[in-house]
Amino acid sequence: MTARRSTPTRAVAWFLAPFAALLVVWAAVVAATGVPLRIFPQVTDVVAALVSMTASGELFVHVAASLRRVLIGSVLAIVTALPFGVALGASPRLSAFFAPLLRFSVALAGIAWIPIATLWLGYGDGAVIFIVWNAMFFALTYNTLLGVRRIPLPLLRAARSMGTGRVRMFWEILLPGALPSVVTGLRVGLGYGWRGLVAAEIIATSAGLGYALFLAQKTFSTDVIIASMVIIGVLWLVMDRLLLAPLERRTVQRWGMTAARP
Amino acid sequence: MDAVRALQIENLHKTYVDAYSGDEVVAIGDVSFDVAEGEFVSVLGPSGCGKTTVLNIVAGFVEQTSGSVTVAGKPVSGPGPDRGVVFQNHALFPWKTVQGNVTFGLRMRGVAKAEREATAAEYLRLVGLTGFEQRYPHELSGGMQQRLGVARVLANEPAVMLMDEPFASIDAQTRRRLQEDLTRIFQEQRPTVFFVTHDVDEAVFLSDRVVVLSGRPSSVHEIVTVDLPRPRDWRTTGELPQFRALRNRITDLLAGDESHAVADPA
Ligand SMILES: Nc1ncnc2c1ncn2[C@@H]1O[C@H](COP(=O)(O)OP(=O)(O)OP(=O)(O)O)[C@@H](O)[C@H]1O
Ligand SMILES: [Mg+2]
Repeated sequence: MTARRSTPTRAVAWFLAPFAALLVVWAAVVAATGVPLRIFPQVTDVVAALVSMTASGELFVHVAASLRRVLIGSVLAIVTALPFGVALGASPRLSAFFAPLLRFSVALAGIAWIPIATLWLGYGDGAVIFIVWNAMFFALTYNTLLGVRRIPLPLLRAARSMGTGRVRMFWEILLPGALPSVVTGLRVGLGYGWRGLVAAEIIATSAGLGYALFLAQKTFSTDVIIASMVIIGVLWLVMDRLLLAPLERRTVQRWGMTAARP
Repeated sequence: MDAVRALQIENLHKTYVDAYSGDEVVAIGDVSFDVAEGEFVSVLGPSGCGKTTVLNIVAGFVEQTSGSVTVAGKPVSGPGPDRGVVFQNHALFPWKTVQGNVTFGLRMRGVAKAEREATAAEYLRLVGLTGFEQRYPHELSGGMQQRLGVARVLANEPAVMLMDEPFASIDAQTRRRLQEDLTRIFQEQRPTVFFVTHDVDEAVFLSDRVVVLSGRPSSVHEIVTVDLPRPRDWRTTGELPQFRALRNRITDLLAGDESHAVADPA
């Protein structure tokens, strides 16, 4: 099956193609217009910045700080939003009660909480993690709720008619049944989480990729700004490819359930 | 002493109230019949006469407006493992393997692993799914999925097995095979079966008795005893003159043609 073996390489090539195109256009436009570094960097400037940030160990410190916060915030969001979302999905009364509040909170989720978060938790990890959690929580809760509601009634009835208790219902039916939607929620939520992280790091800490962006702005180092943005984008993609895609492949796709696309 | 009555339905009545318009729909007028232990009873009737509603009330999914349902002498309240349901669209858990689906009810009841596996193996063999244990439902054909649905219910050894048009969405040829499989399984296991269908041939072929419901507001029009010899298969049973007589009689009953029905001597 040579055709099958060549597929991943082709997939990777197709995945990278638009980025390559972007780099080419970028390099060409900067070269043609001759914009100064303090306005926008050339591709090579960014590569140089990446190299020097790596060499000084600065990059590692920022990436480690940001990743740690995203991971802690995400885990907290998953642990809180999944049970809450399932409970809301399973109980029309509960969801009727919380629905207005959830809708109200959507516009406010994440960044708008930074002032309050820093007042409560001070400037540091606590506030940033809170923002990541908060940014993810609503998307994840809402998608989990939808996922539970989309479980076909006969499946719930089948489970009940076989004597499934509450706890088992959660683990064996509602959670796996909602998973296509939960995966969507994780994807959307993690996106919000990263955005919240960058914003919170600009304001609330002295390490992390958001902070690196902020520092670079003060010295007009557009090369470092763009380098940090590239790192943020790459980390997000890597997370999606290494965590979410395999999760989706092993569950939703394996089970023949199609994931709801955002 | 009353052990022979596995399922008793008495003066069942159901009125749905449309949540939007507030209109009332009488789904079941007044329905009473029994199913004896180890008996196969089919319910036939015009579309919309409340067959599914009767089954859902027996299953405990829907509450009746009045009347009573007792299973093995106990009044029904809510769903329970004493009544196993085979659904029209299988309702298998897509996230569980064939094995996971068959053993589900046993696990919920805390049956030990070794016993679960032995029971699962037995029922998978019975429905011809041995060797497919690790597959997921979407990897099976429609006919195999419904056989799995039957095995999942039988493995729990419920007092009554409820089936709502389980073969309706399956192609004609496979359906005949599944009907033969079901009648063989019935022969071997003697479960108590309450079977809803709109297919007269299917009802006659499978049943010991056929309950014919009238149109809405529905009541029991007639209960026809099917005393065809078992074991049954389509080749021989389908050709019997009694089979055809019963089928014609029930068809006439459904069409509301009383005179013709009575004239048939069987
Ligand atoms: N949840 C519901 N709310 C309101 N009306 C309902 C509901 N379920 C069923 N009905 C009505 O009750 C009547 C009986 O429905 P039911 O599904 O029991 O009929 P059926 O005999 O199973 O029909 P079919 O042969 O088409 O499956 C129908 O008129 C239907 O519209
Ligand atoms: Mg029906």
